[in-house]
Amino acid sequence: LDIARLKRSFAHIAMHGDEVPLHFYSDLFLKHPETRPMFPVSMQAQRAHLVDALVNIVAGVDSLDALTVFLRDLGRGHRKFGALAAHYEAVGDSLLATFAHFCGESWDADLAADWKGAYELVAGVMTAAAREDEERYPAFWTGTVVAHERRAFDVAILTVRTEPPLEYAPGQSVAIESPARPRLWRYYSMANAPRADGTVDFHVRLIDGGAVSMALTAATVAGTELKLGPPVGVLRLDTTAGRDILMVAASTGLAPLKSILEQVAGLPQPPRVHLFFGARNADALYDLPSLEKLAAEHSWLTVVPTVTGGRFAGHSGALPDVVASYGDWSGRDAYIAGPTELVQDTTSRLGAAGLPVTQIHVEDFGWSEP
Amino acid sequence: MTSDAWYDEQHRLTPDDVRAVTLPLTRWGRHGYEEEPVRAFMADVHAEMVRLINERASLWQEVQRLRRRILGRETGNDAVLFGKDDAHIHAVRILSSAQRTADRYVADAQAYSGRLTEEARARRDEIMGQAQQHADMLLEQAQTRARAAAVDAMNHDGPAPQTDQERRAVQAELAYLRTFSEVYRQHLRIYTEDVLRTIEDWESKERAAVHDVQQATPNPLAAQNPLGGQHSPSIGWRHSP
Repeated sequence: LDIARLKRSFAHIAMHGDEVPLHFYSDLFLKHPETRPMFPVSMQAQRAHLVDALVNIVAGVDSLDALTVFLRDLGRGHRKFGALAAHYEAVGDSLLATFAHFCGESWDADLAADWKGAYELVAGVMTAAAREDEERYPAFWTGTVVAHERRAFDVAILTVRTEPPLEYAPGQSVAIESPARPRLWRYYSMANAPRADGTVDFHVRLIDGGAVSMALTAATVAGTELKLGPPVGVLRLDTTAGRDILMVAASTGLAPLKSILEQVAGLPQPPRVHLFFGARNADALYDLPSLEKLAAEHSWLTVVPTVTGGRFAGHSGALPDVVASYGDWSGRDAYIAGPTELVQDTTSRLGAAGLPVTQIHVEDFGWSEP
Repeated sequence: MTSDAWYDEQHRLTPDDVRAVTLPLTRWGRHGYEEEPVRAFMADVHAEMVRLINERASLWQEVQRLRRRILGRETGNDAVLFGKDDAHIHAVRILSSAQRTADRYVADAQAYSGRLTEEARARRDEIMGQAQQHADMLLEQAQTRARAAAVDAMNHDGPAPQTDQERRAVQAELAYLRTFSEVYRQHLRIYTEDVLRTIEDWESKERAAVHDVQQATPNPLAAQNPLGGQHSPSIGWRHSP
């Protein structure tokens, strides 16, 4: 494989922008019409996912270990979409045809053979991971909604019983597909430590114009059957450090942290935990009563609610400011979750105040899922 | 700033547009452009370049097709006139364009629903804010009234007892004081009546004595001041009933 040449040729293909994935999917659907129902009506996001994955793979060629991890996750993740080994062949054909189309006069037999070889390696790693996964786990879990509670104007808490029971670590997430929005999968964190009855909670906030969040908050009732993908994510409780804990949760970013909090509560000697829970206004502090109940039961837990606007009897202001105003957190393990920008702000704020980056735990959304 | 600051959907970006573009300067000093408009313009230039590159690619495909067609004529092979590959590329273009249209419909619908949700949220916040303000106003009025009533009560009756316990204690004290004053008044009345009776008794005795003395030896002093040096013995009597 002439890696350098593949990279040059990919750069040339990528110049054509959105036309490349557009051509690829049209080519695939014309040659294999049976694949079309595996995708949503709008392919806009799908095309971006494909380009992201291709860019990741081409850039990752230089660090094969990391690339293998990425590809194995990708292969496992594709099982819930119904991807079978035969599909990999079809995708390979269309991808090669697309590359040939956009390479134009620079396409030749050598380049075609190199791209074919590269694709077979990628597909090989993905299908192998999928096969291993198949022996232990289903392609997806069926989750029946047993309770749907509207907690705020735009927040609902879903309690779901899965079949078979979902095995996960507190802090992890799963992709969810609602029957009201077929082929659209969105990630949500489990909001509780694993329970004896096997039910899991999800905190869903209505995103303006968000197709899936709207279906989950408004068009879901007890009895609705959801599809759940395999648990993913790297946000976990570090039980080895023995340090006290700082948790910063913005809005439904509370979900993974509440799950971890329940795990902490089960430890023989829980560390001290300060949990800052921030939201738009007092109404949006949708789970405060339950947190305050936990804090009343456990002396090691302190809950500090904050709002950015409106009337509130507690702290108000930007969440990173309120956290920083409490003083020195440098001896703690910090767990931060919420909207990306807020997580970044809080992380850099705590870093600047002397908290080592190794003690800051956030979800890594680096993995992309076509 | 949006793209139509320089060109609209129909009017494509030209080299002259790029050369003639004027971007606003930063507010303080005159050393740089504002980031946002520059980024927007760069995005436009990028989109235009991608479009040109794709146009060039499809022209190249077309040239290839025509070249094959000419070659086909020369060799007498009709099948290459509009080959299977050409038909496929054509179909890909048609499907791609249909997909783009579908994407746009979904995106429009989503943007519209997003706007509606956003407006609903803003309206809800507004209504909640107004309701809260109204509630505050009512509460404030009630408090003002309560305060005024408290001030009135204080001016008329002195400081009002605060708690039930204090009120009960004060009431008990009041009852005790009432009983005490009644008993005291009773005692005082008996005592005073006794004193008055003694005084009358004493006066009548003295009058009788004076009368007796006046009968015997006339005394001008005793007649002018009938009480005379008798003050002290009258007081002394009180202690020796």
